[in-house]
Amino acid sequence: MVLDFFRGGGDAQLERIEAQIRQMLLDDRHTFDNAINALIGGTDPALVGKDIRKTDKGVNKAERAVRRELVVHVSVRGTSADIPLVLASMSVVKDAERIGDYSKNIWDIANSGVDLSDAEDITVLTRYRDRISKMIGETARVFGEKDLEAAHTMLQAGDVLQDEYDELIDEQLHTEKPAREAVPRALLYRYFKRITAHLMNILTSLVMPIDRLDYYDEAKADRE
Amino acid sequence: MVFVVFLLYLFLVGVKALESGIQGFGADFTDSLFKGVSNPLAGLFVGVLATVLVQSSSVTTATIVGLVGAGTLTVPLAVPMIMGANIGTTVTNTLASLGYLRRSSEFRRAFAGATMHDFFNIMAVAVLLPLELATGFLSKGAAALAGFLGKSTDLEFESPDSPIKAAVKAPVKLFENIVEGLGAHNTVLSILLFILGLALIFVALAYITRNMKLVVAGRIERSMNVVLAKGGGITAMAIGLIMTVAVQSSSITTSVLVPMIAAGVLTLANAYPITLGANVGTTVTALLASLATDRPEGLVIALVHTLFNISGILLFYPIPQLRRIPLYLAGKLAAVAEVRKSLVIVYVIGAFVLVPLLGILILQ
Repeated sequence: MVLDFFRGGGDAQLERIEAQIRQMLLDDRHTFDNAINALIGGTDPALVGKDIRKTDKGVNKAERAVRRELVVHVSVRGTSADIPLVLASMSVVKDAERIGDYSKNIWDIANSGVDLSDAEDITVLTRYRDRISKMIGETARVFGEKDLEAAHTMLQAGDVLQDEYDELIDEQLHTEKPAREAVPRALLYRYFKRITAHLMNILTSLVMPIDRLDYYDEAKADRE
Repeated sequence: MVFVVFLLYLFLVGVKALESGIQGFGADFTDSLFKGVSNPLAGLFVGVLATVLVQSSSVTTATIVGLVGAGTLTVPLAVPMIMGANIGTTVTNTLASLGYLRRSSEFRRAFAGATMHDFFNIMAVAVLLPLELATGFLSKGAAALAGFLGKSTDLEFESPDSPIKAAVKAPVKLFENIVEGLGAHNTVLSILLFILGLALIFVALAYITRNMKLVVAGRIERSMNVVLAKGGGITAMAIGLIMTVAVQSSSITTSVLVPMIAAGVLTLANAYPITLGANVGTTVTALLASLATDRPEGLVIALVHTLFNISGILLFYPIPQLRRIPLYLAGKLAAVAEVRKSLVIVYVIGAFVLVPLLGILILQ
């Protein structure tokens, strides 16, 4: 034990923190898939509710663990701590936790009795479901591998998606359809937008300076 | 690591140079020097003040080991000084906690985290110093242990041919020859050796700490995360001990805890055993220093340091009611300090500078 203390170590702790954030994203994807399928895939919300709550608790716990470990990193390393990485991680871990929360909100819609599995716009809803689920998984990979090129590409795609959500939400706000059809869709597209925004925030941590974290859409010149 | 081994060698050379320098001053000078600390309380205050001034109990204890090893300071006189060094070293993390003065709740936690170490060490001295003066149990135990080690580990204290001692003596002898060649003898040579010894001890320990902190930072992080996940207890104590042995500084270990306690991620109860482990870990420096001394008393006083800290833990840690006393007192002091911040300055200067200084002046 004593000799082991002197061997290796290096930056393994920060790598561990990054791995935890990646795992949080993979758990988010699991929660999102379960929640959206309860709303548009015909899955009984009661069947997945327990799993969603358990996974979300795990994500919340992981967020607190990462924060603690970041405090330990700064306390131990002092001035040699990787401050930009610590600050970025504090921000990213919050984004990962929020994705879990919005996924849970989607499940809440389904759990309140809304079922869109037979809706006329199911093809559109399914397409967005698949894109977001894939985007969560891809963000986990890109974050883990620090694939800067892929991060740029995904940010551009995310920017387009955000505009689409705005149009879809606007459409629901001005529709003549009854509230029981418009409200769930307005909420759902709003949640899609927030999930996509949090994924983009995570991606900005790879390609943007620390002061512009989360502000990708306000500095278009930085994207090129 | 090779550089650290070289620094350890320099540290031992420093202890040897200090020892040689002190021996060169002659018996009359050293007798008059230490006459003032024949009172155990004065010795205790000297230990506190010296450690506060150099901000390192390792430097103080290594110096004391050098003095005892040279035969100029007796073990009974050195015991209170060693205990004083234990108290003096706690000032570093108390100073570290002052960085949170502007944020009340964080400061309260940080100050309590820092001062629990003060209270534990003061309590340990309050009980163990009178006991030692009455029975000599620490010095007798250390002497018995040194005798046992001398027989079992083939340490030949009196032999000039011991490989470590021979390697350590060579550069000191070379320095003496050079200085003598330049015309300096007796007192001048002794002063130069004394200064060289102190400088080498100070610089070597500072660089060992700095380098080892970088080398083991990743492990320290991992160990701290273990404590955060599993809580305190014996594991935390072992981590505090190993960390301190690795960086050769209990101040580093305890100061690292302060930001974590301030942030609220590490509780006082979980940080407490790490601090106690650090108390034991820091005694390794004196044990290392004793490798360079000629007389077995050098090892005896180093072992007194270890036994004192282990005794303190055995006295106050196993019984929950006693274990909680330093935490309770630190919490109370921090609560008062949070409201009346001027008291913090009064406490730091009073406990670590004024009281020891007045104590020395009055008691010598």
